[in-house]
Amino acid sequence: MRLGDPPPLSARPAPLGRADGAGHARGKTRRAGPLSGERLSPFVLMAPAVLVIVLFRLWPLLLGVNFSLTGDGDRNGVAVGLDNYVELFADPLFLGSLRNVGWLVLLLPVAVAIPGLLATFIHLRVPGHRFHRSVYFFPAVLSPVIVGSIFNLLLAFDGPLNRVLGVLGLGPVDWLGDSHVAMFTVVGVHVWATFGMALVVFLSGFATLDPALLDAARSDGATLAQVIRHVIVPGLSRTIQFVSVTTMIGMLTSMFGLIYVMTSGGPGGSTYLPEYYIWIQQGQMNRPAFASAASTVLFLVMLIVGLAQVSFLRRTGRED
Amino acid sequence: MRGARISRWLIAAPMALLALATIYPLLFTANAAMKTRRDYVLDRFSLADTLRWDNVATAWTGAGTARYFLNSVIAVSGAVALLLLFGSMAGFALSHLRFRGSRALLLGCLAALFVPFQVIMVPLVRTMADTGLVDTYPGLVLAYVAQFLPFTVYLMASYYSAIPAELVDAARIDGNTTYGVYLRIMLPLGRPALLSVGLLNALFCWNDVLIALLMMPSAEHRTLMVGVTSLRGQYSADIPTFASGVLIAALPVLAVYLFFQRRIADAVTAGSTKG
Repeated sequence: MRLGDPPPLSARPAPLGRADGAGHARGKTRRAGPLSGERLSPFVLMAPAVLVIVLFRLWPLLLGVNFSLTGDGDRNGVAVGLDNYVELFADPLFLGSLRNVGWLVLLLPVAVAIPGLLATFIHLRVPGHRFHRSVYFFPAVLSPVIVGSIFNLLLAFDGPLNRVLGVLGLGPVDWLGDSHVAMFTVVGVHVWATFGMALVVFLSGFATLDPALLDAARSDGATLAQVIRHVIVPGLSRTIQFVSVTTMIGMLTSMFGLIYVMTSGGPGGSTYLPEYYIWIQQGQMNRPAFASAASTVLFLVMLIVGLAQVSFLRRTGRED
Repeated sequence: MRGARISRWLIAAPMALLALATIYPLLFTANAAMKTRRDYVLDRFSLADTLRWDNVATAWTGAGTARYFLNSVIAVSGAVALLLLFGSMAGFALSHLRFRGSRALLLGCLAALFVPFQVIMVPLVRTMADTGLVDTYPGLVLAYVAQFLPFTVYLMASYYSAIPAELVDAARIDGNTTYGVYLRIMLPLGRPALLSVGLLNALFCWNDVLIALLMMPSAEHRTLMVGVTSLRGQYSADIPTFASGVLIAALPVLAVYLFFQRRIADAVTAGSTKG
């Protein structure tokens, strides 16, 4: 919750610039001519940030949508209407990447429940909780490239994990070479690498939970499952909402490194996600306009998934 | 009471196993880096007999890792410096100055927070190419600044909004201009936040691979993470050298983590409780 030492952070962005004394900032004693340096100072201070954000983040969004309606190669710059989108939805690779997004949405509850449960245990002061907290968080600061490279070693067909399974009498699994398994392997590694991030967020949510509630439930003889169901889940509904949305965004936008290092989209295109598809079309196929169409679809998918999630979680939150 | 204690240990055992599963992959890689090729092929699990640094040396010099390392340091330090400067300036203006359009600017900043890089990368790279910024350090630095600035502005603004207005007023009465207030009040008081946000941004930039791949196509401009991805093809039969390269790329992050673990975790949750 804290970013550093005092002054403490406010919990909401709303009071920015307003709450702390109306207009205290505009120097009343200074010259306030329309062109004086003092009067322009807020704009001077804002200028670099505004320029960078508008030029390199907001403007490209508009440019991209516009761009997706033009052609590539011979038809460069020519308006082609929705041709790119029609081609996109006929491409089995792209459809496969959307199907994988569907899998991610289905796996989301697992990816949220694991850190949630672990945070619960840590909050209830399981022996060694400090050690766990710092160990679990560590992979979250490693690059997907490093994580992917390490797991390339561990998951190789003749690698350590299959050796261990062999000793236990379980057949070797082709973790990255079997098209039915590879996507789940990559998602599993992603969860391994990021659950610490969600865990830390959950722990900061627990800090806002009234300890008296937990004590009361305990002294009433509630089981762990009951405590989770009736105290923790309702008490942390905002945190759960936040973690699910950010985990979903993370799955859709930060698995590029893992896919690039571990599978390159293979085998047989089975581990494509939209972000990897966009990169291939832009970087390898040199089809930027077509890639822009895929970007626009990804943006819409994220918007829909995000909004659906928020409304779903709001509804379940109200029932409690 | 005793029942509760036993069940706590029952939970602690699998959690300890999970902790082991969390660090073991890195230990395995470090161990592999210390082995000879022959040792690794014969037995992957046994401990390396001595600390053997030749693989690390090969990865550092032979594979061009030293150059990639330098490229990453240049890009990350440039980006973090600009992020902190622009972020603290805008954060100060948004939290303590009243001016026309401040609300709209804050909302624009929040909107930008929710535009993922994947969605804008094609037109962005095109714009960068049109302005001759592709394959240059300023181009990569600018791409990183654009990517992480909304988040930086946002965190700095919420940190600064907790600094009392009286302090700013007092500084003005002492004769400071707005810029004086920024330099003498906001920068010194903002140090804890600047450190946390700076660390987080440094990690993000250091760990990035997609932006670097797009912005720095030529081999001598590769960042370390892009370099690591190319190591794999280069040393596919020489796992210890490959593992050494991975280790070199992970070590700075490990060092930062050991020193600043608490701050990083705090910065992550500061973003979360308000995101």
